[in-house]
Amino acid sequence: MKLYSLSVLYKGDAKVVLLKAAHDVSSFSFFQRSSVQEFMTFTSQLIVERSSKGTRASVKEQDYLCHVYVRNDSLAGVVIADNEYPSRVAFTLLEKVLDEFSKQVDRIDWPVGSPATINYTALEGHLSRYQNPREADPMTKVQAELDETKIILHNTMESLLERGEKLDDLVSKSEVLGTQSKAFYKTDGCC
Amino acid sequence: MAETNEEVAVLVQRVVKDITNAFRRNPHIIDRCHMHPAASKPRLYHCMEREHGSSIYKMRKNQQRRLGRKELILSGTLNPIKDLHLGKLALTKFPKSPETWIHRRWVLQQLIQETSLPSFVTKGNLGTIPAERTQRLIQEEMEVCGEAAGRYPSNYNAWSHRIWVLQHLAKLDVKILLDELSSTKHWASMHVSDHSGFHYRQFLLKSLISQTVIDSSVMEQNCLRSEPALVLPKDEEAAASTEEPRINLPHLLEEEVEFSTDLIDSYPGHETLWCHRRHIFYLQHHLNGRFPQSMTQLSPADSPGGTLSDLHLIPAGSQLSQAMEVDGLNDSSKQGYSQETKRLKRTPAPDSLGLEMEHRFIDQVLSTCRNVEQARFANAYRKWLVTLSQ
Repeated sequence: MKLYSLSVLYKGDAKVVLLKAAHDVSSFSFFQRSSVQEFMTFTSQLIVERSSKGTRASVKEQDYLCHVYVRNDSLAGVVIADNEYPSRVAFTLLEKVLDEFSKQVDRIDWPVGSPATINYTALEGHLSRYQNPREADPMTKVQAELDETKIILHNTMESLLERGEKLDDLVSKSEVLGTQSKAFYKTDGCC
Repeated sequence: MAETNEEVAVLVQRVVKDITNAFRRNPHIIDRCHMHPAASKPRLYHCMEREHGSSIYKMRKNQQRRLGRKELILSGTLNPIKDLHLGKLALTKFPKSPETWIHRRWVLQQLIQETSLPSFVTKGNLGTIPAERTQRLIQEEMEVCGEAAGRYPSNYNAWSHRIWVLQHLAKLDVKILLDELSSTKHWASMHVSDHSGFHYRQFLLKSLISQTVIDSSVMEQNCLRSEPALVLPKDEEAAASTEEPRINLPHLLEEEVEFSTDLIDSYPGHETLWCHRRHIFYLQHHLNGRFPQSMTQLSPADSPGGTLSDLHLIPAGSQLSQAMEVDGLNDSSKQGYSQETKRLKRTPAPDSLGLEMEHRFIDQVLSTCRNVEQARFANAYRKWLVTLSQ
């Protein structure tokens, strides 16, 4: 049961901006770690790009589940987890983080922010604490507000794309991925 | 270039030592070994040597055949403990590798057989426990298995090795079984779809049941009287005079049911958890049908005829001789699930109270769950319970 990344983003009209991210790539082998991190950023941005405002979704890709929440005010959060981690808790975490973020960081900074300029430091702590869902959220079993039927489920990343769009193309065009990561993607076919 | 076997032996020792040290300094070397995970062990060590920059085989240019690792160990050239350590490192990269696990068991067998020191020592009036050295070996294996299990989901090879160690090194020592049951609980709760991990817990419980029967029957034979009514007081005395751990089997099984309920509620939609529940229910029922009251009360704290929970109403007036029929129980931990299913169909129907509670549990899950898979598993479990009572 694992959380790999937690990111806060802004869904601008033109593009998606990464505001802050925390990662746990300790379970990956040493030389893979930086590539994995880049892919998680790439994936988080892509998912937010293809999700409408005011929606929640879970996107499955191999053994990973990416949970996204895009608020009506364009603030968005993505959690990348394994397939054991309960999605209920993932969405609780997203709700909590975005709420906290919006109170600590001025709205005016969102459209033009970046991890270097944004002053929000709680993300690493949240990611670490939520590795154990029952410790972090003892009320897991009691799910009052969130209506799970409204969460959109995607069985692959591909289903987010437009007709004719290929993930390979998006990978090679991406500014977020380094050359090593792109090469890695080609040989291993991972994401 | 080395020519004689002795010179090779010395060089082998040095190379193994060097590789081990190199890994200690930089554990990430092993990640440079880009090989297919199913690669055979000799190639893995070849690769590790290449990375390290040395080669046992370079030195043996004139020889036709390479010395296998088994030969190196048998000839006393390679220290088995060092070999185990090297294997541990290999498992960090290839946690499933069947050859590594198989070789590991061979080495462990060498270690137990060859030593002049006993593996087991007598303690108290009854029974033996593993000697300290054996305990350390066991603990190390538990750790290696645990790490490998974490590196690959449902790592069958790692978990079956763990079981093998308990059977052959620990000889199903009850205290070790109990320790394993409690120490793997948290891991299981964090790996709710790891089928092998939960199968391990089923093995532990089955073994505890079979070991308890053996211990009780030994106690029975040591007692002077054999009437069921008098057995308990004698048992209390006997139990109090030894250091045997007190096991309350029904309680252990009940705890496991609660654990299962907790996990199913917290983590909806995992088939492994429902499978596990079936096994525990079956064990409770199995225990139910086999033992008269006196046999299950090993804890002196239990008052005669009273404290067993209502869930385990045992048919009154069972013959002691019937209870001694322990065929199959000893082997139950080794036999497959299909055997158990057959036995299950032959035994009498489970008590209605236990069934009723399970049906209530299913109702509760179905009424509150919003996960499609969870509903499917709950319904399948209900169907399975129904077939039991037919």
